[in-house]
Amino acid sequence: MPNIQLLNNVDHKNLRVITDRSAEYGDNQWFAPTFAHEFRNLQSHYPIVFTKNPETGQFQAVALLGFEVDENLYLTDEGWDAMYIPLSIVRQPFLIGFQQNNEEGVTSVEPVISVNMDSPRISETQGEPVFLEHGGNSEYLEQINSLLKIVHEGHERNQDFVDMLLGMDLLESFVLDVELNDGSEHRMSGFYTINETSLRGLTGDDLVILNNNGYLEAVYMAIASLANISTLVEKKNRKMGL
Amino acid sequence: MTKLTRRIVIVGGGSAGWLTAGILAAEHSVSSDSGVQITLVESPDVNPIGVGEGTWPSMRHTLQKMGLSETDFVRECDAAFKQASRFDRWVTGENNDSYYHPFTPPHGFGEVNLASQWRALAPDQPFAEVVSHQPHLCAYGLAPKQITAPEWAAVANYAYHLDAGKFGQFLQKHCVEKLGVKHILDHVKGVKSADNGDIESLLTEAHGAIEGDLYIDCTGFSSLLLGQHFGVPFISLKDSLFCDTALAMQVPYPEPDSPVASVTISTAQEAGWIWDIGLPTRRGTGYVYSSSHTSDDEAESVLRHYLQDFDGNARKIPINPGHRELFWHRNCVAVGISAGFIEPLEASALALIELSAAMIRDELPVSREAMEIVSERYNERFRYRWDRIIDFLKLHYVLSQRSDSDFWLDNRKPETIPGHLLRLLELWRYRPPSRRDFHELEEIFPASSYWYVLYGMGFEQADVDQKRSDDPMLARQFFEENAGMTEKYIRGLPSNRQLIEHMVKHGIYKI
Repeated sequence: MPNIQLLNNVDHKNLRVITDRSAEYGDNQWFAPTFAHEFRNLQSHYPIVFTKNPETGQFQAVALLGFEVDENLYLTDEGWDAMYIPLSIVRQPFLIGFQQNNEEGVTSVEPVISVNMDSPRISETQGEPVFLEHGGNSEYLEQINSLLKIVHEGHERNQDFVDMLLGMDLLESFVLDVELNDGSEHRMSGFYTINETSLRGLTGDDLVILNNNGYLEAVYMAIASLANISTLVEKKNRKMGL
Repeated sequence: MTKLTRRIVIVGGGSAGWLTAGILAAEHSVSSDSGVQITLVESPDVNPIGVGEGTWPSMRHTLQKMGLSETDFVRECDAAFKQASRFDRWVTGENNDSYYHPFTPPHGFGEVNLASQWRALAPDQPFAEVVSHQPHLCAYGLAPKQITAPEWAAVANYAYHLDAGKFGQFLQKHCVEKLGVKHILDHVKGVKSADNGDIESLLTEAHGAIEGDLYIDCTGFSSLLLGQHFGVPFISLKDSLFCDTALAMQVPYPEPDSPVASVTISTAQEAGWIWDIGLPTRRGTGYVYSSSHTSDDEAESVLRHYLQDFDGNARKIPINPGHRELFWHRNCVAVGISAGFIEPLEASALALIELSAAMIRDELPVSREAMEIVSERYNERFRYRWDRIIDFLKLHYVLSQRSDSDFWLDNRKPETIPGHLLRLLELWRYRPPSRRDFHELEEIFPASSYWYVLYGMGFEQADVDQKRSDDPMLARQFFEENAGMTEKYIRGLPSNRQLIEHMVKHGIYKI
């Protein structure tokens, strides 16, 4: 089990976080989990597809970063080669934990910032300070705080988003056949994408529901994002010197 | 204009009746006036037999085609996954005597003679384990797919164990609510004949006469229409397959999270064999025996001994092994036990219902004149299928080396063995079973099933000639690939219980 701690300015007063992008800091992920409201920011850089979480069996949207485990084709010696980095990567090593509060007999569960102290980004000498000298939040922490909120809300709505897509028959499985410049063929399965035939057949009511929830835009963003598969293939060719 | 068969009346509401109703109604548009109308009449106080707790993989396609959800099916029918049959103590009767008949054909089957190469390269390992990953998955109690797999899809080919009572109710609800099957609860107290000898209508207590163009008899052992009304003779199989009684007992698990076996375990006994089927909530067990070779009391003590003196209620079910001389006669066709019944050694009962209903479905609607042709073809095909089932079940007894009781000795007397099987066994002394030994398109037991039983039971086959196509390198490659697949699946698959519980709690997706 990773060592997850509730972030506080006493235990973590000297905590710094290395924000460089590199495999040694755990950025060699081949996909990044995402959510509907991030699609707009992702779509010009990454293919957005859906896959099932092997732990829960639930659908989740992901930005594809590579073609195999541990391969992130956006990582270069100079850092991350894209203008926008998925929030689920940027938030590392922080995550949302939950704390039970008891105020005047009323218990509530509140999301709180937690930190994975096993992360290779954890430091006391390098990187961004998390707290100011007298215990106040650093600007970095404020940024993390607000993006964690966005990530949290996005994932809270994921089930609703997915259920709506499935209910309208808008997801279909697809197999990604990739041919590299050396002629080698690679097949990736277990992915799902927007079923464009179903989308075109949607009736007025369904379109309004999708639109009112902000999902209609996401659906089109996901479709547009598939153009980035060729970007990814190009990166792979370059990496292999092909 | 020729009158077409549009009004179908099914009598009897067990698994046979509702499966048949569902298979027909899923294909035919029951809602339109020109479509096929399906009515199921069921007596309000007849208890379905509730045998047939094991299915074949074909059931996945059957249920999917009806428009059902696998999640609902698993939840409502108390279903679990089945990947094979395991036969214990069938060969020598010793404790370590066990072999598998998995649902997946041997890896590389038909590409190279796997049998001779198995004997050459891996004679110390059981055949099924060298050519199939499935015995290993069963041994580890693993599920046939991950929780991320879509409904009905398989990593390893699978079927189900289910609660037959719940299954009937589940199908009934779907047939009535979704597929437009008309359901009448009433007693059929008489049959009215037409001038030409067909059934004109069924006379019921509260609903008067129910008219149909085709009557499907799913009335179980009573065989109300085909047997009682038409008097179609019954062909007993008792001279070949001796088991004529079953003693069934349901057994709870020691713990709520005890493993659920993903294999039907069949353990040979002195006068028959015991089935052991794992559902999520209980085990279904029973001793199928020959009443000519043991007494009911002795049988009960054998079953209790197998269950380590478990003190439950045993239910005795007489079975009369055999089938009707014809299955489709005039405008009446029998499906399920009313057509025939045999010991459930290879869980063929539900599969036969699926095949029967599918053939009826594909021929509807039919004119009364064409029905003569259809019924003739139907009878021919299902007689062939029954004969192959008898061959295949008998094979398990013929290959046994047990000599500890008359039951086993009698089973090997040549006069009890069908000639067709004897001839095949003679051929197979010098070569493995071939696909060409079985020429039906939908063969009930394919050649690969015979392989698993023959080589699982130590059938002696001479390697008379090394053929060019018997490439040891290719066989070795298949064996290694199988070992690789096995390892990968063992790492990646959840336990049978984990998958069931995930489906019950969260469900899995259709895609």
